[in-house]
Amino acid sequence: MYEKHLMICGATGCISSGSRSVEQALVKELENHGIRDRYRLVMGGCPGFCEVGPILVIYPDEVFYCHLTPKDMVELVEKHLVGGEIVERLLYKGPDVAVPVRFYDSIPFYAKQKFNVLHNSGIIDPESIDEYIMRGGYRAFTRALTIDSLTICEEVKESGLRGRGGAGFSTGQKWEFTNKAPGPKKYVVCNADEGDPGAFMDRSILEGDPHAILEGMLICGRAIGSNEGYIYCRAEYPLAIKRLKIAISQALEYGLLGENILGYGFNFKINIKEGAGAFVCGEETALLASIEGKRGIPRPRPPFPAQSGLFGKPTTINNVETLANIPLIVREGGAAEFAQIGTAGSKGTKVFALAGKIRNTGLCEVPMGITFREIIYDVGGGIKGGREFKAVQAGGPSGGCIPTELLDLPIDYDSLNKAGAIMGSGGLVVMDESTCMVDLARYFLSFTQKESCGKCTPCREGTMRMLEILNRITGGFGNPEDLDTLDSLAHSIKDSSLCGLGQTCPNPVLSTIRYFRHEYEEHIEEKYCRAGVCKALFSYKIDQERCTGCRACVKACPVDAITGEKKEPHEIDQGRCTHCGSCIEKCRQDCILITRVGREADVSN
Amino acid sequence: MNKFIDQCCDKCTHTRSTPCKDFIRCCVEGPVCHEDLVCSAKRKAIIEKVALNENFVIC
Repeated sequence: MYEKHLMICGATGCISSGSRSVEQALVKELENHGIRDRYRLVMGGCPGFCEVGPILVIYPDEVFYCHLTPKDMVELVEKHLVGGEIVERLLYKGPDVAVPVRFYDSIPFYAKQKFNVLHNSGIIDPESIDEYIMRGGYRAFTRALTIDSLTICEEVKESGLRGRGGAGFSTGQKWEFTNKAPGPKKYVVCNADEGDPGAFMDRSILEGDPHAILEGMLICGRAIGSNEGYIYCRAEYPLAIKRLKIAISQALEYGLLGENILGYGFNFKINIKEGAGAFVCGEETALLASIEGKRGIPRPRPPFPAQSGLFGKPTTINNVETLANIPLIVREGGAAEFAQIGTAGSKGTKVFALAGKIRNTGLCEVPMGITFREIIYDVGGGIKGGREFKAVQAGGPSGGCIPTELLDLPIDYDSLNKAGAIMGSGGLVVMDESTCMVDLARYFLSFTQKESCGKCTPCREGTMRMLEILNRITGGFGNPEDLDTLDSLAHSIKDSSLCGLGQTCPNPVLSTIRYFRHEYEEHIEEKYCRAGVCKALFSYKIDQERCTGCRACVKACPVDAITGEKKEPHEIDQGRCTHCGSCIEKCRQDCILITRVGREADVSN
Repeated sequence: MNKFIDQCCDKCTHTRSTPCKDFIRCCVEGPVCHEDLVCSAKRKAIIEKVALNENFVIC
């Protein structure tokens, strides 16, 4: 028996911020004290709060330590593990709490979250099948083996689960289509080709609870009458792939994969296919082509994969998060329990990746129907640096921008669609006043334009023409007719593109024109970028009355464009200034203004 | 018995080639095919070794 369990976040976010070094230092310190054997040390899944990583949670004390460094391990071992005293300076502290807090229940980031899909993440050792079983794992699959396949489809339909990958189609209905499709050979495919910038929901699920995906696929296989599945995972997720391979090998050892599983005569095998990183391969028909060894490009539908999918056989394709929900639904009473969470049209929870100008970056799981305001301010802790919220990009590069006036919009499939955005896979990129919405639309469109496979003309040519216009606008050469042209092109591309990538890629442009038209007009008519992002459309100017002559900006300027004596107001040489923004970051008096090109300062952001 | 796949005694027959339908329930609640306090203790020992707190095991 161990005295305590030391759960270090071993997900990619915390590993990037040094959790492996923390682990090594902790092991060394435990060995120095001769107490290594008394403690169980696990590099576990992601507890979600990436902003404060590396994270260590000590059980059964349930103490949450954050922002750890290897040096902290000396004090942590001596005080907490040997002395039994909590190290207060390593607890969570922030503007949202009055005193340092110990654990989830008192950290505001966790207060509105509901852990369904992530209920094992950070709690179990992702490389242990026994721990997954202890947490109720494979019980739903065992139950699925005892009931009729169409009953499983019916239960999933009754739960109200909709696909978490983007389109939000009814999962149970999709399964039923494949179940009823004729043919002896059918496939289950797990789409783990998570490609949206800033999104890492699927990655964390795969890294933190890989057996949940296997169990979801097994249940799907049983429901549709399939004996083989593929996990299509991007090769950029090496830890996820490693843990999936371990999980598959354990499931084979335990007789949960292979022939005559648990004596019910059901056979199932799972293969892993590593993707090469093309964004379009997240589109289901392109993904299937890639698994088949062909170039990853979409094909027209119908026929839909449920009729003719992988190798021409009926196939169900589900995203990682969708499959991770399945064991919770198919367990005894699970469908009804699941349906109690969320809104009328969007049941269950949703995992979101919070990124951008938000204080608490990380991963959160919240009930459907929560508002953007709650996610951004209550879970996310508000905007970094005390700036003003401007917009949130929901649904990745194919999604749309939600402005301030829609902060109280409930997050569900239908509300998002009405607002011009999509649920997508769950990426939320938060923007503040320093974000230029025209440049943002240009950035997302340049991403989807580069990732366009080129097969269909509207997407291949249309996105390029749109990008040219946006480049012109942000470069100071916009024309008044550009907005109408963008709008017309965007709708043509949406209406006529072959696949979901083309059909949704104009969304960032359309939603920013819809909600931030004034910024486009300023760029075009006044040649002014109020956010100070589009370099041709603003100048920096020093407020001569407020400048104290501290020389911080002089030292920060990489091209020596700022001059002035100490304690005297400084000046910027507009001919030399490259608009890099180094001065504005360093100015302590907030006296560097963003002004219209060639005009006196009249606007300060 | 260090893992659930290890057999608690000769009465347990679960292997890949001779699978038991009650295997998953047996891991946490077992043994279910026979009554034996020693076998039950072996399973509990696996659980107690890694259970973080009283809410860890979900049946």
